[in-house]
Amino acid sequence: MNLCYTLPDEETGLIKPLRQGKPLLYCVPYDLDDDGGLCEDGWIAVTENALFVLKNGTIKHRVDLRETEEIVCTSQVAGGVLAARKEGEDAYLCRFSMRHMVRISYVARGATLLCRGDDRRVESREREKTCSRCGRVLPGTSVCPHCAGGRGRAFHRFWDLCSGYTLPLLTLTVIMAAMSGISVFQQYIQRRFIDDILVPAEGTLADVGAFFSITLVMVLVSLALWITNALWSNSLGTRISRDLRARTFYKINGLSMSFINSRQSGELMNRVVEDAARVREFMEQAFSQMFSQVFIMIGALIAMFVMNWRLALLGLAFAPVGLALIRIFRQCERRMWRKRWRTEDKVNDRLQDVISGIRVVKSFGQEERESARFRDYTNELMKITRRNEIFWATLYAGVTFFLTSGTLLVIYFGGGDVLKGRMTPGELVQFLAYTNMLYGPLQFVSRLPRMLMRLTTALERIYDVLDEDDQFVDPEEAIDKELEGQVTFDDVTFGYKSYEPVLEHIHLSVKPGEMIGLVGSSGAGKSTMINLLMRLYEVDDGEIRVDGVPLPMLSQHCLHRQIGVVLQETFLFSGTVFDNIRFARPDAPVREVIQAAKMANAHEFITKLPDGYDTYVGERGYTLSGGERQRVAIARAILHNPRLLILDEATSALDTETEYQIQEALGRLTHGRTTFAIAHRLSTLREADRIVVIDKHRIAEVGTHNELMRKKGIYYGLVMAQLEMHKVRGA
Amino acid sequence: MTEQTNPQDIRPDTEPDILQQEKKAVEEIIAIRTITAENTIFCRTEGGFVRMEYQTPNGERKTYPRVSVHRCFPFSDPDHFISIREPEADGKEIGLIEDLNALPADMRAMLEEQMNLRYFTPKIRKVHSIKEEYGYAYWDVTTDRGACRFTVRMGGSNVYAIGPNRYLVNDIDGNRFEIPDLYKLSAKEIKQLDLFI
Repeated sequence: MNLCYTLPDEETGLIKPLRQGKPLLYCVPYDLDDDGGLCEDGWIAVTENALFVLKNGTIKHRVDLRETEEIVCTSQVAGGVLAARKEGEDAYLCRFSMRHMVRISYVARGATLLCRGDDRRVESREREKTCSRCGRVLPGTSVCPHCAGGRGRAFHRFWDLCSGYTLPLLTLTVIMAAMSGISVFQQYIQRRFIDDILVPAEGTLADVGAFFSITLVMVLVSLALWITNALWSNSLGTRISRDLRARTFYKINGLSMSFINSRQSGELMNRVVEDAARVREFMEQAFSQMFSQVFIMIGALIAMFVMNWRLALLGLAFAPVGLALIRIFRQCERRMWRKRWRTEDKVNDRLQDVISGIRVVKSFGQEERESARFRDYTNELMKITRRNEIFWATLYAGVTFFLTSGTLLVIYFGGGDVLKGRMTPGELVQFLAYTNMLYGPLQFVSRLPRMLMRLTTALERIYDVLDEDDQFVDPEEAIDKELEGQVTFDDVTFGYKSYEPVLEHIHLSVKPGEMIGLVGSSGAGKSTMINLLMRLYEVDDGEIRVDGVPLPMLSQHCLHRQIGVVLQETFLFSGTVFDNIRFARPDAPVREVIQAAKMANAHEFITKLPDGYDTYVGERGYTLSGGERQRVAIARAILHNPRLLILDEATSALDTETEYQIQEALGRLTHGRTTFAIAHRLSTLREADRIVVIDKHRIAEVGTHNELMRKKGIYYGLVMAQLEMHKVRGA
Repeated sequence: MTEQTNPQDIRPDTEPDILQQEKKAVEEIIAIRTITAENTIFCRTEGGFVRMEYQTPNGERKTYPRVSVHRCFPFSDPDHFISIREPEADGKEIGLIEDLNALPADMRAMLEEQMNLRYFTPKIRKVHSIKEEYGYAYWDVTTDRGACRFTVRMGGSNVYAIGPNRYLVNDIDGNRFEIPDLYKLSAKEIKQLDLFI
């Protein structure tokens, strides 16, 4: 996201004498005047020591950052307000709509850093929403598929995609050219049949037989070609989209968490599934037809103009009208369909709402009212559907008439020519056949731009992922070794957004085999510490060392092989229980798997299941309870035998009885391993050697349970609060 | 866990204190505190916001250097039940004003100025064009706050009814636009809106 726009000349001149030669660090527009009216001439400009609010060619506010505590950006209802805080009191600077909210909040953070004498530049990794050139919405890509290279670029990508399949593509093109050649030629044979055999009435039955056989051969050949074409283009399409899907999936696996987090997970899934499917659709439907349709059109046109150019022009006379009509009605059609979908959605939503809330509806006695409401919706749907069908039936007939009325002209004027002897009957029949052959391809070609646009958009979005750089690449001299498990956080600072630190100046040294409990309110940064240790993100400042080796110097394979995780929500993949335990070490012998399950207190319940270790779990499989899933996860971690262990809320979703079993299993798991455990339920942490309390982005307290209880600080407060909660629940 | 710090031992002498606090906190939360011209002084700060001095029901005087002013019913009843709050995102309510019209004119003007600052929901007066292209609709309209172009994602429910003939439009930036009465627009404009309604 751009945080440093170019200021218009007038404004540049305005602040030039005031900024003392300092460059502009941030410069962004804002769009509302003080009364909330929309405007287009507002600017916020920041230099190292001053913030200017410019409007209508004047300086509205000038803030000396060295005398200001903070620049505050508060969000309002669909908008925001910027203010400068001095001695605890805010002074209004400007207001803006949501269009500029994100941008201005970044700038406010940047300016606040400057207030404190910190000259770090705030950068935004967020994407712009619209193309700066054409103003169109970017469909989740970094460059506009419309501008930036345009079709050429998209074509290049398409070519890149097909490059592995040059030979099949070439063959396909030849097949399609042959097909259209045959259909053009067939009409010529027909003409000869009429002119040479039928009209003079001189031919023999043998001639008829010959014509029959020639036509039969041609029909059979074009049928064979047609089938080959369909099969080949289909398989080519699916193969290309398979490659694309595999490439995208592989790439997403290797991408940084920050890239993945910057997209919604559904969006990424869309790219793998939907966009690849769109490419396949194009390959199957449009691509297979594209050449044959274009070839047929060209062939027919050439033949028509060669035979009789005046008649050819007449035949085409109405085509533009027909095409224009198709275009107009396609808009109409889309509108009508969409309206129908919306109404259908409404009906379904209502139905789902009422049925899932049936207990509420019944207990408040609202059945009658809900039924009446539903009846109104279905009535509306019926009306719309009926109107659509009538409209469609009438207008489609009209359009077809216009499109084909060229044929009528050809019949009239061509018929005249035949009577005057300027044309043979066979020629007229041939000509009419070409005229009819033209309309299908014409319609197809008119749809082509839209299909191409869909393709380029899909490709653009896929390549947006494929072109992204992998974040972490192991350096050449990366170390791969057996770890002891000593971990050091050395002055670590990190934030998911560059301007918003989640952890600040974290110092912590952990001995091999030590168990650390991480405590703090949600959002304090516990999980972030763990994410950093797993190297899902790179620290902004400071260093994390494992066995004295800085994390970036440790090969990722080495780190992830020796780190084990048990999370709050255990994710089991579709597959058997056995597969799930063996996930981290697919080559582990069965004995070891069972041993791990025993240690995790999981063997008992697994053998009780009807299908034992072969029980199929996952989306459509057997549903394990939360505690059972957790124990499978622990068995997985035990089998993995990591040096570093991470327990993220591993027991929070369990009832007390299973918790005991899991505690016990966890005790075995953590024994002798360096462990970081996050828990809301503090009793989980009674085994911890040391407890680290994180508060307001920093380490607030460190010590054993007893030490911290004696200190009567934050930890003491948390323990007390939980005891009270238990008491209240018990009462 | 060792004997001397077992929470069980600490419990008796801390329990009443914590329970008392809880009880007080709950009472604080559920009480409706009415703000009137009698118990409150608002004044405009130099910086353009509003400062508040308030006398709580038990006679305590409290000063807030900046307050934010929220409507409880921004659409259906903008002049009643105005919530005066601490300005932070997680700030608490200080009190409620039941009827804005019952306040002295200057006080009312001050609060209205703050509310105008808070709410930005332009009312659409005229629809010039709505152009649909590849899943997004580009609107060109005139609102009570001036001319505006914005973009709405197709599909989903970005245009929705909030009353009979009254609609809200969400654009891709998160701005909202109100159509106060659909049938005050011309037939041509309504046809353009057909896509959404």
